[in-house]
Amino acid sequence: MSGPFAARNEVAVVGYAQSPVQRHASQPLGAVAVDTARRAIADAGLDVVDVDGFTTGALFPTAGAHTIQDGVSIVSSNWLAEHLGVNPRYASGFQGYGQIPGAVALAVNAVATGAADHVLVHRALHNPAGRYHGNPMREAAGTMQWTAPQGYFGPLAMIALPYQEYVQRYGARRETMAEVLVEARKNGARIPWSHWYERPLTSEEYLAAPMIDDPICKYDCDIPVDGVAAFVFTSAERAQDLPHRPVYVSGYATGHPTTRRLPTHWPLDDIMTTGFETARRLWEHTGLRPGDVDLPQVYDGFSPFVYFWLEVLGICPEGQAHQFVADGGIDSDAPGAVPALSGGGALGNGRMHGIPQMLECYLQLSGRAGARQRERADVGIACHSSPHFGGAVAYSAHRA
Amino acid sequence: MTSPGRPLPVPDDASAPFWKAAAAGGLTVARCSRCHWFSIPPDIVCQHCHHGDPAFAFEAVSGHGSVRSWTVVHQSFLPGFDDDLPFVLVDVELDEQADLRMIGRLLDGPYVALHIGDRVTVAFEHPAPGVAIPAFALETR
Repeated sequence: MSGPFAARNEVAVVGYAQSPVQRHASQPLGAVAVDTARRAIADAGLDVVDVDGFTTGALFPTAGAHTIQDGVSIVSSNWLAEHLGVNPRYASGFQGYGQIPGAVALAVNAVATGAADHVLVHRALHNPAGRYHGNPMREAAGTMQWTAPQGYFGPLAMIALPYQEYVQRYGARRETMAEVLVEARKNGARIPWSHWYERPLTSEEYLAAPMIDDPICKYDCDIPVDGVAAFVFTSAERAQDLPHRPVYVSGYATGHPTTRRLPTHWPLDDIMTTGFETARRLWEHTGLRPGDVDLPQVYDGFSPFVYFWLEVLGICPEGQAHQFVADGGIDSDAPGAVPALSGGGALGNGRMHGIPQMLECYLQLSGRAGARQRERADVGIACHSSPHFGGAVAYSAHRA
Repeated sequence: MTSPGRPLPVPDDASAPFWKAAAAGGLTVARCSRCHWFSIPPDIVCQHCHHGDPAFAFEAVSGHGSVRSWTVVHQSFLPGFDDDLPFVLVDVELDEQADLRMIGRLLDGPYVALHIGDRVTVAFEHPAPGVAIPAFALETR
């Protein structure tokens, strides 16, 4: 990718819906998805028949042995279209990590090229009965033979290794990571649909939590939930005739590391090297600079990602995000600070992947954040996944 | 001592020489026959020269390396490890090539003080007859 995005601010988000984020929904995931999709389409001032494109990233991010069943544990684009009674002109699913920027890019490209007029982007996440990541495997075949017999398995150990590298290299303290959690849960506690609504976390509670994969404790991981969010995308032209103030897509960037590793082995240098490249692409693609961004919503499915994204985005120098946080740098209530988790993130909402980041950008930039509305909200960035596998989308409140 | 019921490796056409060497007490690493680059794990295409027929051969290595990171596991998501909790996993850079990294259990116990750069050497665990799993032990200074 080189040069500016040819469709910069030519595609807009014009409506949304978010289901309650809860441990276990009373309805099947597919039913929640159909209901959420209908509400998003109505919110955009459209009818279901107007929607001719569907994109998502359907990954079920479990290391366990849970069954993958469309409509039950995942919801694909085609499943959703079929169950809304739509034969879509365009339906697609993003395959990699960074499902939200991936699915948004598919939608933006489809609208910009005329492959579809109104595209619904949804994300449906399921919390199965039983342990989320527990796996009863007795035999390790394929790439798993190189890690599972050795006792290395699952995403908590995966994030513990690069976080330990960070802690050792830069002297980051556990008391500082507690502040990340306090900030995410403070903001999540203000959001009515959040699993953590009205339930902030104290630093003392964080520090008292037992380790799972030291230095990772349970609060460093977002809690598994059932939840669905949906957004409607259309052209900037058509958006002018719809009820809500449009939020424009200024560009996006994703990446993928070229260094091959053992399964779920994410060394810190891999994360940062590819992450800096993704951020560089984002600035080049959007024409933005870090200082232009009012709302950099960093991804936080595991708490160390907050440090990594703050650094690759250039909000603070490499190795200094922990100090930036310790100095109050991400306090959403402090004038002059960077509200990097103002939407509560995954830690403050539940495992909705990059949805809380995207939703916060949309709500604030469209002026629809209600009691949480921020005074200055012109440019937002919604990050998702690890900087080296994920990506980010830049949103603007203004077309020009 | 290891607990029963841990997942056991299923050797395949590509990996069988590795597990055979391990059972005999030797650590090997796949090496591309075209560019001689070590790869962990071996794949269909060499990650260094990108040759589509790398004809990887498992070559004996020293088993010496340096700790790049570690985690203390307090909760296992796999069967067979509960009796060993808590245990340490180390991310080790082998001496043979820059950034050549493998992960294994550290057999010195969960309470040993660790530092980036600590020297380790390969050791093997035997969770079942004829099966040897590479792990590490701190080198004595």
